[in-house]
Amino acid sequence: MRAVDDLELIQPPPAPSRPLPPTEPVVDEPMVLNIGPHHPSTHGVLRVVAQLDGERIVSATPDIGYLHTGIEKTFEGKTYVKGTTLAPRMSYLSPIHNNLAYVLAVEKLLDVEVPERATVVRVILAELDRMASHLVYLGIHALDLGASSLMLYTFRERESILDLMEMTGGARMFPSYIRPGGLAMDLPEGFEAAVGEILDRMPSAIDEYETLLTKNPFWRERTMGVARLSAEDAIAFGATGWLLRAAGIAYDLRKAVPYCGYESYDFEVPVRHEADAYARYLVRVAEIREAVKIARQALSRLPGGAWMTSDRKVAPPPKQELADSMEAVIHHFKLWTEGFKPAPGEAYVGVEAPRGELGMYVVSDGSGRPWRVHMRSPSFTQLQALETMVKGGLLADLVTGVANLDPVLGEVDR
Amino acid sequence: MAFGREALRGMGITIRRFYSTYRHGLNLQPSAAGDLPAPAEARNTKVPAGMPTRVGGLATVQYPEQKLPVPERFRYIPFLVYDEEPDHERADFDGVRCTACGICAKVCPPQCIWIVQGKGEDGKARPVSSEFYIDASICMSCGFCAEYCPFDAIKMDHDYEFSSYERHESWVFDLQELLHPVAYHAALHPSDYAREAAEERAKAEARAAKEAAKAAKAAAAAGGEAG
Repeated sequence: MRAVDDLELIQPPPAPSRPLPPTEPVVDEPMVLNIGPHHPSTHGVLRVVAQLDGERIVSATPDIGYLHTGIEKTFEGKTYVKGTTLAPRMSYLSPIHNNLAYVLAVEKLLDVEVPERATVVRVILAELDRMASHLVYLGIHALDLGASSLMLYTFRERESILDLMEMTGGARMFPSYIRPGGLAMDLPEGFEAAVGEILDRMPSAIDEYETLLTKNPFWRERTMGVARLSAEDAIAFGATGWLLRAAGIAYDLRKAVPYCGYESYDFEVPVRHEADAYARYLVRVAEIREAVKIARQALSRLPGGAWMTSDRKVAPPPKQELADSMEAVIHHFKLWTEGFKPAPGEAYVGVEAPRGELGMYVVSDGSGRPWRVHMRSPSFTQLQALETMVKGGLLADLVTGVANLDPVLGEVDR
Repeated sequence: MAFGREALRGMGITIRRFYSTYRHGLNLQPSAAGDLPAPAEARNTKVPAGMPTRVGGLATVQYPEQKLPVPERFRYIPFLVYDEEPDHERADFDGVRCTACGICAKVCPPQCIWIVQGKGEDGKARPVSSEFYIDASICMSCGFCAEYCPFDAIKMDHDYEFSSYERHESWVFDLQELLHPVAYHAALHPSDYAREAAEERAKAEARAAKEAAKAAKAAAAAGGEAG
C-alpha cells in the first residue's frame, strides 16, 4: 500500500487555474559565482568563489589544491642531485629561480665553494629567467584585459630566451642546469653571442610594448586605481617582490640579502607609490630593463675556468679519469647511486624570484636524501591578498586582480 | 585629442607587424627561423649547430613540413649506442657499449629504466644487458642517464615524434628499438663525439707508449744478456 502512496506523491501538481504572481527580486542576498577552475583568465587551475552584489564584488575566495602534486614529499625519496630536476618543475614560468634557490640551500648545507664562472652564469640565467617570466606576465595580463596583440610580441622575445635555455641546458623549460657545486656542464659555444643578441634586442622590444600600453587610454582605464593593495596590507599578508615595490617599499632580496654576488652589480630597484595595477605594470617593465642591465654586466665579467667545484665530495671525477683509474669509477658509482651526504642540519635560502621572495628550506639528517624540503613560494603567500585587492570593485576588475598577482599554480599547490 | 593619438600609435605597431608577416607570406623577406632545410632533409639526422637568430616577419614555421633545428644539447628520450667497428674490449658483444652496470637505472629520477644483466651459457654474468627497457611515458627528459654513464653508452635522442594511439606497448622501448649505431650519435652530438674520440685516441696512445716502453725494456734486457 505504501508504494501506491509514493506513486501518488510524484504525480505532477495540478496546473494552476490562474498565472502565478510575479516573484519579487531578491536584493539582500549576494549571488555566488564560481570563476574557474578551468577559466582561461585564472592562470592555471585556480578557482575563485566570488560573491557578487550586482556587479560589485562582496568577497572573492581563492580555492586552491587542484594542482596538488605532492612534490615536496617526492623530494624526500630522491637524492639531492635528483632534486634539481624536481625543483624547477614547481614553477613553469620561473624554473631557473626555483632551481637556483634549491641549489643554494643545498650548497649552504654542504658548505661548498662555487667557482666564479658558475656564479656569474647563474646570474645571467636568472636575469634572463626574470625577463622571460615578466614577458609572460605582460602578454597574458594584456590578453586578459582584451589587448590580444601584445602577447604575440612578448612571446616572440620569450621564445628566443627559451631557445637559449635549450642551447645551454638541453631543455626549454626545465634544463636543471644549475647543480650543487656549480653547473651541469660548461657553456656551449656561442653562448655569449646569443645572450648579447637577446640583450641588444630587448630595450627596443620593451619600447614597443610600452608604446602599446603605457599611455594607451584603455589600458590606463582598466588598471589605474584597480586592485589596490596598500603597503600595510602587503606587509600583513607577507607579500614581497613587486607588490611591495609598487606600494612604495624598496625591498629587493638582491639588495637586502644578496646572493650570487648581486651586491657587486650596479642596478636600481624600481619603486612606485600608487599601489595599483598600473603601478605594478610600470614596476615590472622597469624590472625588465634592470634585468637587461644586470645581465650585460654579468656577461662582461664572465670569467673562464672551472664551472664545477673541485670538491670531490660533491663533484664527480672528470670523465677522462674514469678510463684510467678504478678508484675514480668506484667513487663515481658511489656518488651517484648513494648521493653526497651533507652534515645534519637545516638551511634556508631566499632568492628574489620574478614574483617575490622564493625560499627553499632543506633539512638534512646526514643521509643522501633530504629529510624535508619546504618551499616558501611567493604565489601561495600572495594569493591570499586577492580578496583585499578586489573587494568592493567590479567583477571585471577581478580579472585584473588575478592577472596582476600573476600566480603560478604549480607553486601554490605543490 | 591625446586620447585617440596614443591608441592609434599602438595600433600603428600592430599594423606594421601585420604587414611584415604579410610580406613574409609572399616570400619577400626571410623568416624568423632562417632558411630551413627542405622537408626531406629536415629529419633530425641533420642538425645545424647554431640557433635561429633572425627576427622579423613570421615567427612561426609550417610544422610538420618545416621544422626548427634543435641544438646539440637538446634531449628527449635516451637511446643506446653500438659501435659498428668495435675495439677488442667490446667485440664479443656486437659492439654494444652498455655493460649493464645499472648506474642509469639508479640515477633516473622517475625510474623509467629496467635492465637485466646478460648471462653466459655457464650461468656466469656477462658485462652486457640481455634486456633493456625504457618507458618513454615516464621519462622526464632530464638526461641524467647520459650524463652519468661512464661508458658513453647511453645518449639522449633528438627525435620527438613518436606519438601513438595507446600509451602502453608502443611507448615501452626494448633493446632492439633503443640501439643506434655510433654514426647516429656522432651526427646528433658532434662536439660530444669529438670529446669521446679524443679520449679514445689518448687512451690508445698511452697503451702504445706503454707497450713500446715494455718492448724497449725487454730488448734492453735481451741486449744485456747477450752482452
